[in-house]
Amino acid sequence: MIRRQFLKAASTAVGAVTLAPWILEREAAEAAEVDAVKSALAEAALTRAKLLGASYADIRINRYRSESITTRERQVQNVARNQDFGFGVRVLVRGTWGFAASSIVTPEEIRRVTKTAVDIAGANAAFQRRRVTLAPVDPVTASWKSAFEKDPFDVPLDDKIQFLLALNGIALQTTGVSFVNSSMSWVNEQRFLATSEGSRIEQYLIRGQPQFNVTAVNRETGDFQNRRSFGGPQARGYEYMEKYPWKAEVQQAADEAVAKLKATSVEPGRYDLVIHPTNLWLTIHESCGHSTELDRALWWEADYAGTSFLTPDKAGKLRFGSPLVNIVADRVQPTGLATVGYDDDGVKAQRWYLVKDGMFVDWQTTRDLAPLIGRKTSYGCLNADSWGSVPFARMPNVSLEPGAQDTSLDELVAGVEKGILIYGDGSWSIDQQRYNFQFGGQTFREIRNGKIAGMMRDVAYQSRSTDFWGACDGLGGRSTYELNGSFVDGKGEPGQVGVVSHGCPVARFRQINVLNTSVSMT
Amino acid sequence: MLLTENASREITKKALGYVTADDAVVTLESDDYSHLRFAANTFLTSGRREGVSARVTVWIGRRRGSASTTDVSDAALKQAVEDAQAFAKLAPVDVEYLPSLSQQTYKPGEGYVEATARVDLPARARQISDAIAQSEKAKIVGAGFHQVQLTSRASATAHGNFHYERGSMVSLGMTARTPDGSGSGYFSRNHFDAARLDTARIAREAIRRASDSKGARMLPAGSYPVILEAQAVADLLDSGGMSFDARNADEGRSVFALPGGATRVGTRLFDPRINIISDPWRPELSKFTAADDGLPAQTMYMVRNGTVESLRYTRYWAQQKNKQPSGPLALILEPSTPGVSLDEMIKTAKRALLVARFFYIRTVDPRSASVTGLTRDGVWYVENGEIKYPVRNFRFNQSIVLMLGPGNVDAIGVPERVASSEGGTDPLLVPALRLNAFNFTSQSDAV
Repeated sequence: MIRRQFLKAASTAVGAVTLAPWILEREAAEAAEVDAVKSALAEAALTRAKLLGASYADIRINRYRSESITTRERQVQNVARNQDFGFGVRVLVRGTWGFAASSIVTPEEIRRVTKTAVDIAGANAAFQRRRVTLAPVDPVTASWKSAFEKDPFDVPLDDKIQFLLALNGIALQTTGVSFVNSSMSWVNEQRFLATSEGSRIEQYLIRGQPQFNVTAVNRETGDFQNRRSFGGPQARGYEYMEKYPWKAEVQQAADEAVAKLKATSVEPGRYDLVIHPTNLWLTIHESCGHSTELDRALWWEADYAGTSFLTPDKAGKLRFGSPLVNIVADRVQPTGLATVGYDDDGVKAQRWYLVKDGMFVDWQTTRDLAPLIGRKTSYGCLNADSWGSVPFARMPNVSLEPGAQDTSLDELVAGVEKGILIYGDGSWSIDQQRYNFQFGGQTFREIRNGKIAGMMRDVAYQSRSTDFWGACDGLGGRSTYELNGSFVDGKGEPGQVGVVSHGCPVARFRQINVLNTSVSMT
Repeated sequence: MLLTENASREITKKALGYVTADDAVVTLESDDYSHLRFAANTFLTSGRREGVSARVTVWIGRRRGSASTTDVSDAALKQAVEDAQAFAKLAPVDVEYLPSLSQQTYKPGEGYVEATARVDLPARARQISDAIAQSEKAKIVGAGFHQVQLTSRASATAHGNFHYERGSMVSLGMTARTPDGSGSGYFSRNHFDAARLDTARIAREAIRRASDSKGARMLPAGSYPVILEAQAVADLLDSGGMSFDARNADEGRSVFALPGGATRVGTRLFDPRINIISDPWRPELSKFTAADDGLPAQTMYMVRNGTVESLRYTRYWAQQKNKQPSGPLALILEPSTPGVSLDEMIKTAKRALLVARFFYIRTVDPRSASVTGLTRDGVWYVENGEIKYPVRNFRFNQSIVLMLGPGNVDAIGVPERVASSEGGTDPLLVPALRLNAFNFTSQSDAV
């Protein structure tokens, strides 16, 4: 409350105000009125940019709060809370981008940095081969908050520490468990975007990543096995710790880490796979999420993450998977990590198909990508991971729709004679065009004649994206749908870290190549 | 604009002045970073970011708390200290607490060159435009990334230690593709001294490799003798697949652990010509010489003449095991015999696959330091001393330890400064290697 009053009082003396940068608390905006002080600071950038000849400019004044607690066995290893505040200005000069950023948020610094951005754009414009054009967007004034119930930054630190130590304690009670580590990380983004076209958008986002890893070591044989948590990061508040069955899961993880020491090493060959959402999300991310990024397809990412086997001429023509496969992109799923009100171009969040009935149909786009394939509007995929990073095309939430029937996991398993049931994500690797991939997992159970049999180990499955999705012949129903995701999706130069969610049901794939990953050191 | 040593001393002293806790460490970093990205033979984004970040870590009754801020005004520093102290009061006792460092002795590094700091925008734009022009002339589509990074780091402790150093780095990487997408080449180098970065050579190499990789043939998966360029070796060693961490080994969960609780220290696990060293003062590396808390780096052999000599210790684990703490890593792989040039390795090869680089390397099995990944941007078949034709890419699954093991290393090159191609600028000094066997497990369609 005091913070809000301070802002209202300060708005009358804009030229002299420096936004107090050490303020940690910020109430979630409930009214449509956006931050007047930041709007005034933004004007310093936008006015300056126009004066210096920029045809377009935007400024993001963002604050990031993060908190992390890490533990191992019965001790806390680290407790840290970080704050990061600054601004970044993007300008278009003669169809060429320039960008500059600083952690000093004052009108004087904003004007100086805006000139830097314009100078950079101007220097490069002299050599530019293709001028940028932007798909249009209507300006908007808006305030948006992500869907959380309990702000994790309001939860006492001791509660969080005791929660993690309790998880560790449960694991350590299991005979055979040698080590356990657990952690939770929380992030709050307070975004403010102002554009020369008139948009003023505030957003308040909360997300969290709790996780643990249990290790069982057999000192006699030198073998050790890990079992990492299945629950993944989500755009949820502390209610995630209260509603997800963490304690039951860590007990299960402890039992399974020990059981893996005695599991049967897989015989390599072709198997039918029934894959749980806790594993399949990563395959979706790598083979569907990244392959449908338009900037990759246009070779913009060629120097780092690569290109795509999908090209603009293939939309509507390439069979991506079996007719069961429908892949949806969105930035609106309530607890999705990539869910926002508006992207960093000011484009409203939306939902669209990337693959429909198995056919590849569409892309992920931004305002400067959309015109390159003749589109009049952007799907709103622009994002930056910091005030100091250049916004660029990032993955929205990308999900596999559940089947029309409410088929259960057991029903999918019943249709398998020789197969493997896979839970949890493990190792992962995919080539630079998103064709050849190899994925591990956390637990593997043999399926024999329609029944789940014993535990296996040393399993990785390897395939080619369109072969894999073409082999999908069974989908679980809505009741099997789960959301998982990543806090650390790397892309771009300079490298940035994106956050993204992937939902899917349990799914079955026929005759996939399975490797045995163990190597003898003797 | 980087913080000077005096400014850093003043800021850290101010922050420590607000501390009422039993112990504290203040770390302070400033950076000035600029980039120019191009792709599809056109400029994409270009920018500059300047920033400062201070982190305060305190202990109260051996209870630890930490907070950071990007504002180094008096009020913000005071707030960060108060936050850290508030967290410390709520935290349990840190059983691994060690007192912060008292005054240390530092051997200075040489990794900052003033000329690198003076980024001339039009000159850089012209350099990149020239690289694009080379691509256009060769009918190639170029993409790449030029960056300049200036960093200052300082740390100060409640027990009187202070350390400050600066680093500079300029880097250019380029990927060149034939317009039909059938050929792709990559080359990248970085240096702390801008005068020693040959941007024209980088563009030339990337373009040549793209042209030389057209018309690639598919070969069956299997085990092949290989010649790995220094870039490919850097990609593997920087992947994290083989860690020399002592605690993991002592706890039985590392490739360097043995059944029964011992470790492989003293074991000849690698080819007898192989030395794996950490030394940030090597002139070609010139990396930072202290960790964030001020712990000085050490020159140390992890592997000497093929034998595992020492693993790497944090301060805490070093105290537990009565060893010297290792400090930050600056990785070098060098032979104990004179290195062989890449050209010589090719000329004397009966049969081998020449691999330019690897991509998307991830750990598959830490018990054997096994990793999986793919070749990228150039594989060529060599026979009787000649490069015969380009080859399509493969996925591999390989133990790094067995790869460098006795009997598998055929020739070792001259170490050169290379950074991992997967988004890193942290340099290593590694040579090219000719190996008798490397395990390619499946073919990849990707170019």
